[in-house]
Amino acid sequence: MSKSVKKQVEEAREHNSPDLDLSDRGISKLVDTPGLFSLKNLSRLTLSHNKIDVVPPNIIELTSLETLNLFNNYIEELPTNLSSMQNLKYLNIGMNRLYALPRGFGSFPKLEVLDATYNNLTENSLPGNFFLLETLRALYLSDNDFEVIPEDVGQLTKLEVLAVRDNELIGLPKAIGDLQKLKELHIQGNRLTVLPPELGKLDLYSGHTAFKAENNPWVPPIADQFQVGVSHVFDYIRSDTYKYLYGRHVEAGAAPHPKTNNRAKKISRREVWGKK
Amino acid sequence: MSGGVAICTRCNDGFREDEKIVNSSGEMWHEECFVCAQCFRPFPEGTFFEFEGRRYCEHDFQVLFAPCCGKCGEFVIGRVIKAMNNNWHAECFRCELCNAVLADTGFIKNRGRALCRPCHLKEKAAGSGKYICFKCHGLIQEDEHLKWKMEHYHPYHFNCCKCGEELTPSARELRGELYCLPCHDKQGIPICSACHRPIEERIVTAMGKHWHVEHFVCARCEKPFLGHKHYERNGKAYCEMHYNQLFGNMCFYCNKPITSEMMCTMNKTWCEEHFFCSSCDTLLSAKSKFIEFDLKPVCKKCYDKFPNELKRRQKKVETTSKKYGKAEQK
Repeated sequence: MSKSVKKQVEEAREHNSPDLDLSDRGISKLVDTPGLFSLKNLSRLTLSHNKIDVVPPNIIELTSLETLNLFNNYIEELPTNLSSMQNLKYLNIGMNRLYALPRGFGSFPKLEVLDATYNNLTENSLPGNFFLLETLRALYLSDNDFEVIPEDVGQLTKLEVLAVRDNELIGLPKAIGDLQKLKELHIQGNRLTVLPPELGKLDLYSGHTAFKAENNPWVPPIADQFQVGVSHVFDYIRSDTYKYLYGRHVEAGAAPHPKTNNRAKKISRREVWGKK
Repeated sequence: MSGGVAICTRCNDGFREDEKIVNSSGEMWHEECFVCAQCFRPFPEGTFFEFEGRRYCEHDFQVLFAPCCGKCGEFVIGRVIKAMNNNWHAECFRCELCNAVLADTGFIKNRGRALCRPCHLKEKAAGSGKYICFKCHGLIQEDEHLKWKMEHYHPYHFNCCKCGEELTPSARELRGELYCLPCHDKQGIPICSACHRPIEERIVTAMGKHWHVEHFVCARCEKPFLGHKHYERNGKAYCEMHYNQLFGNMCFYCNKPITSEMMCTMNKTWCEEHFFCSSCDTLLSAKSKFIEFDLKPVCKKCYDKFPNELKRRQKKVETTSKKYGKAEQK
């Protein structure tokens, strides 16, 4: 197996090819593939469906890299210097075992799409500068353990897609109303009971938009509006009646909806899986 | 005889001692000689008008010399307004539209009419775009106008050089001759789709129509394409920038306007060459089966590798919605 990986790397070097697909090759140690990090012209590297547990710091030697796909590996930690990859636009670290993102992760100069679906991330495991990623167009954080989204999310002014399906969210930040370019919001499978009235500043029900909000313990007035349609939900949360009710609800400070624990069997939680 | 010193200005005879002498501005007259130079009658109430050394009664003076008012036809005594090649009473010289007295405010000549300034400006604004016929000098109503050899005409002054019919505004000039529209179109010259005039120089053929090079323009910014690429939508042509601005299909992967074939699904669009499986970066086609995962495409091969607990959770939610996505190619 590793022999043909080696051959593929050599071929990529010979042909100066911009893409290298090493998905599903049983790779466990990237350092075992000599010459990989000297492919200066590589713009897309696909390493999904492998058994990689460590991303070596010399990955940043791939200076032309624009797309890095590490989907479905065993990664628990990313190198701190990863964010210094000057040209990286598309980073897929979904379906790994990440409990945190490294310090300084927010300093990618060009990152547009970050897919960290299916890990073990929480609001406390994001580095302080995370929301400085102002080039970000899409942020996928579904299947993680967030209870809140920090208000700083409002700084991601170019954000078009925010996916936080199947987390532990007990509320959405007001600042979500500042994401003027947002076209897609996934908040299914959380512990949400109310929506901030500020969400009404957005339009997530006309053409080419999506608002996915199923499987939440909504308060009855909101649940009723969902019965008739998403645009009715937005009309309702824009009303003065709702703003008043929302204010009362926040003041009352009711206890958050309990956890459901239906994601306890996530493979991202296992210490070792299929490893010799 | 009194020494023959004083003589009558009219008859040059002397005066008898008992005779009445009329003395007027240093000249002396017999009473019967001091009469109107025209009617030889004495001046009524002694009033006379002097002109070039002759004295006239009021009536004859006016008949001979006083100006006539261009409006009321009466003689103008006192202040005469000389304007528009005529004389006027100050009271009679008025704006032709609003009847305001113009003697002290001045006037503006507008198509042979004396108008006050406000009326002139109104007329100018209303009349803009209207032409004066070069032949009959009449005003040409909008849509009733024919331009030929740089001048404007009523079309009915001309006849088609082929069929002899009286021309209408749809007449066309071709090689210095005027044709009615049907005869013109039989001459086999392409017509510009924008200005509806014949194209005698370079022809642009686009969207099934002919255009003058300078008339084939972006429907938004109206700049001519001049051979640059144009983009069509709903029968209109746009430059690349405005096409993308207006119809903005940006590729979700490269974030650039889509210039190739477009893949369209899950509320998003991709360049044909950028529609990848989000898990393994395999290029998908319009025929590929894929699963929608947070509105991202995941190929079947990758989805099979998803952990069972995730698939179970997904299935629970998606019992009602379709499982497989399908991209539409445009």
